[in-house]
Amino acid sequence: MSTQETYKTKVKELLSSGKVKMVIGYKAGTTADRRRPHFMRTPEEVDQLVLDSACITNLSGYLLSEGLLSDGKEIAVFLKPDGIRSINILAAEAQLQSNQVVVLGFDINGSEISALQGERASDFQALTSSSNEARLHKQQHPESARLEQMTPAERFAYWEDAFSRCIKCYACRQACPMCYCRRCIVDNNQPQWVNTSSHTLGNFEWNIVRAFHLAGRCVECGNCGRACPVNIPLGLLNMKMTDEVLQSFNHYPGVSETQEPVLASFKKNDSETFIL
Amino acid sequence: MAKIGVFVCHCGENIAGKIDCKQLTAAMEQHPGVAVAFDYKYFCADPGQESVKKAIRDNNLTGVVMAACSPRMHEATFRKACAEAGLNPYLCEIANIREQCSWVHTDGEQATQKAVEITRSMVEKVKLNNNLQPIEVPVTRKALVIGGGIAGIQAALDIANAGREVVLVEREASLGGHMSQLSETFPTLDCSQCIMTPRMVEAAQHPKIKVLTYAEVESVDGYIGNFKVKVRMKSRFVDMHTCTGCGDCIIKCPIKKIPSEFDCAIGKRTAIYTPFAQAVPNTPVIDKANCTYFKTGKCKICAKICELNAINFDMQDEIIDFEIGAIVVATGFQVQDNSVYGEYGYGKYKDVINGLQFERFASASGPTAGKILRPSDGKEPETVVFIQCAGSRDAAKGVRYCSKICCMYTAKHAMLYAHKVHTGKAHIFYMDIRAAGKGYDEFTRRGIEEDETSYLRGRVSKVWEENGKLMVRGVDTLLGKPVVIAADMVVLATAMVPQPDAKDFAKVIGIGYDEYGFYNEAHLKLRPVESSTAGIFLAGACQSPKDIPDSVSQASAAASKVLALFSKEKLEREPVVATNNEATCAGCWGCVLACPYNAIDRKDIVDRSGKLIKRVASVNPGLCQGCGTCVTFCRSHSLDLAGFTEKQIFAEVMGL
Ligand SMILES: Cc1cc2nc3c(=O)[nH]c(=O)nc-3n(C[C@H](O)[C@H](O)[C@H](O)COP(=O)(O)OP(=O)(O)OC[C@H]3O[C@@H](n4cnc5c(N)ncnc54)[C@H](O)[C@@H]3O)c2cc1C
Ligand code: SF4
Ligand code: SF4
Ligand code: SF4
Ligand code: SF4
Repeated sequence: MSTQETYKTKVKELLSSGKVKMVIGYKAGTTADRRRPHFMRTPEEVDQLVLDSACITNLSGYLLSEGLLSDGKEIAVFLKPDGIRSINILAAEAQLQSNQVVVLGFDINGSEISALQGERASDFQALTSSSNEARLHKQQHPESARLEQMTPAERFAYWEDAFSRCIKCYACRQACPMCYCRRCIVDNNQPQWVNTSSHTLGNFEWNIVRAFHLAGRCVECGNCGRACPVNIPLGLLNMKMTDEVLQSFNHYPGVSETQEPVLASFKKNDSETFIL
Repeated sequence: MAKIGVFVCHCGENIAGKIDCKQLTAAMEQHPGVAVAFDYKYFCADPGQESVKKAIRDNNLTGVVMAACSPRMHEATFRKACAEAGLNPYLCEIANIREQCSWVHTDGEQATQKAVEITRSMVEKVKLNNNLQPIEVPVTRKALVIGGGIAGIQAALDIANAGREVVLVEREASLGGHMSQLSETFPTLDCSQCIMTPRMVEAAQHPKIKVLTYAEVESVDGYIGNFKVKVRMKSRFVDMHTCTGCGDCIIKCPIKKIPSEFDCAIGKRTAIYTPFAQAVPNTPVIDKANCTYFKTGKCKICAKICELNAINFDMQDEIIDFEIGAIVVATGFQVQDNSVYGEYGYGKYKDVINGLQFERFASASGPTAGKILRPSDGKEPETVVFIQCAGSRDAAKGVRYCSKICCMYTAKHAMLYAHKVHTGKAHIFYMDIRAAGKGYDEFTRRGIEEDETSYLRGRVSKVWEENGKLMVRGVDTLLGKPVVIAADMVVLATAMVPQPDAKDFAKVIGIGYDEYGFYNEAHLKLRPVESSTAGIFLAGACQSPKDIPDSVSQASAAASKVLALFSKEKLEREPVVATNNEATCAGCWGCVLACPYNAIDRKDIVDRSGKLIKRVASVNPGLCQGCGTCVTFCRSHSLDLAGFTEKQIFAEVMGL
């Protein structure tokens, strides 16, 4: 049986037994190579489930829809390794309880997909640790390498050009599982820290704030970049932030839910003397 | 309508020498919302403050900006003046045009322009300032003194004699610190033990002092007036209450060859021991690592000999909690490890010793009963070479600073040697003789003139052994000639360094330290006994190398600070605390983790039927220290700091 079929059976079982109240997965999208989220509450809805190499979206953010988890009932969700890491982060940041989430894990290798064994995010500790290891030794992306070679002025021009396209639709924010704030800083107009008009300053402000707020939290799932209607290479920014956090603090986001948020925690034995 | 007064201070020439104060005043007069602006030579002086008060009353001002020196200097002064004129003190802000402007710029015109911007930005901020009321917190009037050397004992006695309770924590088995190891003390040559022991006894018997020896501070939480301290009582294996200190157990203990820490390894001690005969308390401790019973499960000779059954091999460490209002840190120093100086042969040749070891030889109560003897053969040395600055003032191998006491104790050592070995000859290699202090220069002169100490100005390059002598090669820079002296003993005046765990311990109690590990004072000149953490004070050699008079003075100064704090029942705290906007808080608990004072709790928001709607962060204003860490952390900007609200900061930035 294909992975998709095995999972269909499993999902039907989860729903009909009442173990979970909902399963979040994928179904066919508007074009052949696109998938859209599929929210299944009954076994009948499972027939439309699709699980293939086009299922790249990180679905974990949907768990945080207002009120969805408040009844304490369990929900199952299809997740790749990056998605599993984002569950760990959301649990660490008290946005959900990981024992309310049944992980339906899978991974994509080229055009193939394979199932990942485990039910709770914590069952995937070996996987998240090995992806930490792999990220440490990952070769630099050629575009990143090209940017690093630039002078600061050239790099500024590059981003000025990229950000000039930003229309502040905040689709990137909407797509990111970690952008769960009820009121984002850009929606705060008392005072209006981030200029909403579309000029260089405001564009930089927003995109830098977004990158900083995701530093040490971004799982590099790519949701934001794919959501951007004007193709700003947000992934490059995320990659840079991930590199920095790895180098400076040896922190890889989402390895486990007991990991302390890197920018919120401090250690009394930090070598910096300004830390009390 | 805002009615802001702007007062431009010349600070003599400090500001006016660079900044055109008239031009700055004129610019401020034009600024919207400014009702009155004038300049004056010294606003901190009485007439200056009076003119500000008058301007507040005459113009009914709603805010004041003092364009002057750093707020660290005079914010309190000017806020107090405003309060006296009936204005809420938190409606007064300082525009720092001295440290941040006139002092650091050379071009007057540009500096003036910058001063205009700095002042304007504060005017914009102050327009949004609100009345704030000070927060009152109770003060626990009990002090903790950490370290039972002379500094700690002095501080404890001063506080206790003023009627306040003190907990004195010493990690060794006895009070005393380094002073109890010394022979005689410069510049008066009185016997160290003789002046120290009564102090130790007085502290131990004082009804207001709780002395905890063989104890360590495990953690310090809380804040000024309200610290929560955990102290670990290490198990001595001897019951303090039953033991009478008869010492029978010490005599009978079969393990007798342990190098005594107190005697700097010159003497030996047993496994059950008191560090020295006059120890306070005189209850022994069992050194677990060397005790036969703990190593093999057999022995217990001490337990058998003890008629009072005071020995208990099952004793466990005990943790005691204390509520404390103020802390004096008096953890002292160590002498540097000389083995870094291979060329001096310390550790290689038995007869190369350090100053502290010399003190033990010279002590009447020491292992040689006060006789100066060579460690190698026990003979009296006929020639002794003293090497000063062995570690101090040596950026390459030692420490950059001057240890301050070595010139003096070396002079003392040479003198003591001359008094004890009449035929002996003492040579001192030195860089400079630093003898600043009451009676100090007279003391070194006496050594040279009466006791014939020979001083050679220069460094020693090598010490080696030849025919049973220690050959010391150096230069006499005054004669410009190399010298070689055949000595029987070499004494290194080793640098005074911080305790090896000083940096770690600073983190436990939450104070700052310098590159070496000496504890930082809040201000080197004006607040030398306060640490930068409110309610924690410093005394003795833990702050910098010090002799006994300096350590004692600082201890008394620290005690007076503690007593001033304890003179009131309540402490007024700045109302600069964080508040949370519960509507926008996402409950991520980042702030809870980030807050260094554990001032943020989780709070449930429930509906009318008691159903949980959400959980949000909630700041305890009693604990919050207003550091702003949480504010900078919060991604949704839900947290705000009174007196530094986002709106105020934004206005300030936009005013630039
Ligand atoms: C060789 C030599 C000769 C000297 N001769 C003279 C002299 O003749 N005249 C003179 O004025 N000065 C002399 N001094 C200097 C004198 O020793 C010091 O000024 C004095 O001892 C400083 O006292 P203190 O209490 O600050 O530190 P210390 O004497 O070092 O006492 C500190 C105490 O704190 C304890 N402690 C440390 N850490 C902790 C902790 N974490 N918890 C609990 N307890 C802790 C230690 O065990 C110790 O008992 C001499 C020094 C040396 C090295
Ligand atoms: S910032 Fe983008 S790549 Fe990173 S976790 Fe959010 S959506 Fe995924
Ligand atoms: S999705 Fe793209 S265009 Fe929209 S706000 Fe984000 S970066 Fe700007
Ligand atoms: S950091 Fe901000 S959003 Fe997070 S819990 Fe604290 S106040 Fe709420
Ligand atoms: S300002 Fe925030 S982080 Fe700082 S002490 Fe107060 S609550 Fe804690």
